[in-house]
Amino acid sequence: MTTEEEATSLVRNLGILDTLSDDSIQEIVGSYNGFCAATEALLNGAGDLSVDPKFVAHVHGLCNHGLRSLVRDHFLRALEETFEKNGASKFWRHFDAYSNVALLCKAREGEVERVLCKALEDICLEKLYQENCLLALVHALPSYRDQTSGRAHLFSTYQLLVSSVLMATLPRHFSEILHWYFKGRLEELSTIMAGELNGDNESQEKDDMDLDEKSKLAYRTGEMDIDECYHQVRFSENNKLVKNIGKVVRDLRNLGFTSMTEDAYASVIFLLLKAKVHNLAGDDYRSSVLESIKRWIQAVPLQFLRALLAYLGDSVSYDSHSFGQKSPLASHPSSCYPGIDTPSEGLVRWQLRLEYFAYETLQDLRIAKLFEIIVDYPDSSPAIEDLKQCLEYTGQHSKLVESFISALRYRLLTAGASTNDILHQYVSTIKALRTIDPAGVFLEAVGEPIRDYLRGRKDTIKCIVTMLTGGTGGNPNVSGNTGDCLLEELNRDEESQENTSVDDDFITDEKQAWIDALRWEPDPAEADPSKGSRNRRKVDVLGMIVGIIGSKDQLVNEYRVMLAEKLLNKSDYDIDSDIRTLELLKIHFGESSMQKCEIMLNDLIDSKRTNTNIKATITQPSQTGAELGENAVSMDILDATIISSNFWPTIQDEALNVPDPVEKLLSDYAKRFNEIKTPRKLLWKKNLGTVKLELQFEDREVQFTVAPVHAAIIMQFQEQTSWTSKSLAAAIGIPVDVLNRRINFWISKGILAESPGADSSDHVFTLMEGMIETSKNSGNSGSSEDLVAGDEEGERSVVSAEDQLRKEMTVYEKLIIGMLTNFGSMALDRMHNTLKMFCVADPPYDKSLQQLQSFLSGLVSEDKLELRDGMYFLKK
Amino acid sequence: MATINGYTETAQSYQANGNNTRVNAAASPPKQPHPPEKSVNSQSVLKRLQSELMALMMSGESGISAFPEEDNIFCWRGTINGSKDTVFEGTEYKLSFSFPNDYPFKPPKVKFETFCFHPNVDNHGNICLDILQDKWSSAYDVRTILLSIQSLLGEPNVSSPLNSQAAQLWSNQEDYRKMVVKLYKPPTV
Repeated sequence: MTTEEEATSLVRNLGILDTLSDDSIQEIVGSYNGFCAATEALLNGAGDLSVDPKFVAHVHGLCNHGLRSLVRDHFLRALEETFEKNGASKFWRHFDAYSNVALLCKAREGEVERVLCKALEDICLEKLYQENCLLALVHALPSYRDQTSGRAHLFSTYQLLVSSVLMATLPRHFSEILHWYFKGRLEELSTIMAGELNGDNESQEKDDMDLDEKSKLAYRTGEMDIDECYHQVRFSENNKLVKNIGKVVRDLRNLGFTSMTEDAYASVIFLLLKAKVHNLAGDDYRSSVLESIKRWIQAVPLQFLRALLAYLGDSVSYDSHSFGQKSPLASHPSSCYPGIDTPSEGLVRWQLRLEYFAYETLQDLRIAKLFEIIVDYPDSSPAIEDLKQCLEYTGQHSKLVESFISALRYRLLTAGASTNDILHQYVSTIKALRTIDPAGVFLEAVGEPIRDYLRGRKDTIKCIVTMLTGGTGGNPNVSGNTGDCLLEELNRDEESQENTSVDDDFITDEKQAWIDALRWEPDPAEADPSKGSRNRRKVDVLGMIVGIIGSKDQLVNEYRVMLAEKLLNKSDYDIDSDIRTLELLKIHFGESSMQKCEIMLNDLIDSKRTNTNIKATITQPSQTGAELGENAVSMDILDATIISSNFWPTIQDEALNVPDPVEKLLSDYAKRFNEIKTPRKLLWKKNLGTVKLELQFEDREVQFTVAPVHAAIIMQFQEQTSWTSKSLAAAIGIPVDVLNRRINFWISKGILAESPGADSSDHVFTLMEGMIETSKNSGNSGSSEDLVAGDEEGERSVVSAEDQLRKEMTVYEKLIIGMLTNFGSMALDRMHNTLKMFCVADPPYDKSLQQLQSFLSGLVSEDKLELRDGMYFLKK
Repeated sequence: MATINGYTETAQSYQANGNNTRVNAAASPPKQPHPPEKSVNSQSVLKRLQSELMALMMSGESGISAFPEEDNIFCWRGTINGSKDTVFEGTEYKLSFSFPNDYPFKPPKVKFETFCFHPNVDNHGNICLDILQDKWSSAYDVRTILLSIQSLLGEPNVSSPLNSQAAQLWSNQEDYRKMVVKLYKPPTV
């Protein structure tokens, strides 16, 4: 202490100094010096708190001269200096070893804890001593003895002093140390709790096994009380641990680290919670994890916090308002805190924070994996259910939409994915999102990219029809038949929905309307107002699938084509499964649109009857058999399918000369048909149908089921073992190129062999006799298999929907040429509008502007039109 | 040797179609004033014109064509090419059709929009053709009108001309051809 400092601290009293006599100054200086020495002795007294009576006398002396503030200020400054020297610097020195964060990580279990406790103990002792010193001063100050407010002020000034000293010298890694400390402690606590929790769960799970959901819930809430009490008991065992933590927290608060401490344990709790959520949720979507997360929150962090708050003694008395803002999770608030009558407001706030955090974490986790979840949808419905609850709480639906759309684009809507897979994923998406969002608003947004993409694929309609009907559409090569068609499934769903809704007979329309009205909720804010109200947006899987194509007519048309193909390839008249499919389709698309298909099936039934009738009444060829010789064939082997061609899709017609005996058979059949069904006549489509035949060689017999054209080809070799392609084509009545394509079938089977003829374009085909040569050829058959495949592709008997579209477009072509003839030139949109207005053909013009444009550019490339400056002209 | 042991065929029978006989609305006498149910009828007029358009487009008749204006199906634009081996060969004439609200009980008003040097067409493009006036029947349609006008080009009625100069010149086909070529202005796009 120097005189200079005295002068500055006394500056306020300069006015008084003038009035003082030399004696008094002497006395003051004497007292002051004495006071300073006594203070120093007291503060460095090393635990000796015996107050020097001289100290009191000096204080009194100074106070008598009105220098009380001088006494106080000096004492506080002395305290600060001592604390800085003895307390703070020592305290921080404890942690010097951990200034490197990496070292901290390596620190042994419990080491951080030990160091922190020791450091806190030391500094608190120091602080306690100083506080006692302060108390001594208070006692020495005459007027302070009974003036509590002044005393409190003095202590709070000291408190401020302590924390400012510590803050000023705070090393950067201290918060890390706190973090590690709480992490270690809480993990320990969590492990203990988790052990108990698991034990409980197992016993509980066993009991729950056969109980249905509702009673399970009730049971669980009942159980919860017991659980909690049980935990309460067990918790006392952990009390020591919590008490230790509580002590540390209290000491830290005492030193002014309140917010830093709270930050540290809060961040640790959130960290633990996040790890817990990740741990529980993982990659398993088959079970709901929300419940166990909630239980964990109750069991570990909240128990800890409750104990901590209780220990620290700042549980605020229960405020009735806190129930009003309870989280939706705390549905049974009374059962949540069975041990404590009322939760403190702080605890409720903590619970809300923790639950929100848990929801958000789980939601983010699930959204990131939504694609996988939907891939195993029916199995992963618990995960979907969890996600739904999370979203209801957090309201971050848009996050889901964005993330899922980008996942779709990246993983599904690529050239590598088969249309079937995309469609299945689409259906799963619809079903899954229907759970999350019954209004279908987000489904609309998510489904749009899939629909857009599928519209660009050629085989979409075909895949949809296959998926709906579960049929293979006459093409047995199509794989991916899941064994059950979607239509059946949809029907089952609908039935079950109906069953659940009709729970009593008293539901009148009025009552239903009232229930609907009560259930009404506004559309979510994200809803696109242009997409209409939710009532219209009722999620309907079939509707959304049809939505991909645009109209059900196209779908029905494609089904008709596939059905025709299938029926034409049947050799028995068994159509039971098709009738069932048709009935299902009728339910969804209406009777009228399925009428043509129904007629097709009826044709099959009629054919069966007519066929039997004709065969029974025809003049048996057995009488004429002798005339025809050994080549005669009996009527028994012929079964005809008689179709009403107006209602069938356009059928490919190819000329074909069938062998004479068969020709005779066919004409006999047709004659008999005419007799029975006058005036109707039978026209054979000789290229369609199937032929079962058996080839007899000298050493073996081989059976085949082939198309008529194949049979006609091989029949020619009965008389003549070698043919040139030209003469064979002439004999069968088909073009040479068709023959060359079709005959590959027999070459690949090793029945025929091909060799170059005299003319380069004329090949010679020879019948292969004997096994040896055939087996030689078998090496060849592998390479010719693709030819067979190519052949089968060209073998479709029904005109595809694609060709149908082309036919439609020729109607438009005529109209376009008509309008351009009369108007000279027109722009695209005017042509579009004109077509929309005047094209009333069946079906009416329903193409988009883009479709018209691509059609027009097709006409331009065919040199029929010309495009100049955005105007179309007729090419002259 | 290969022997065929079985043969199955698919046959198709053409079932007799109900004949699509076109029901022609009985032509009511044109003098009789029409009942004022135009609003009711306009729908059927619209339908009739639309089906006529489709029929015309699908018929693919060469040398004649017509199409409604963009926004009004009662106003059509027509095109006729001069027939081969007539003096009008290689020419193209634009026509305008204006259908009354009680079509097809009344004929449409038909005019040449391109100048046509023809005995039965005046300078304003008006046409003197019996079926467009007193010989009109509701059985006629745009297609038959176009065909009639096309044949009128090659076979004019010289006895009652609107363009007497053309009527006089008709006997000299060579000079007439020169006149047609001289006066013909191809329709500008």
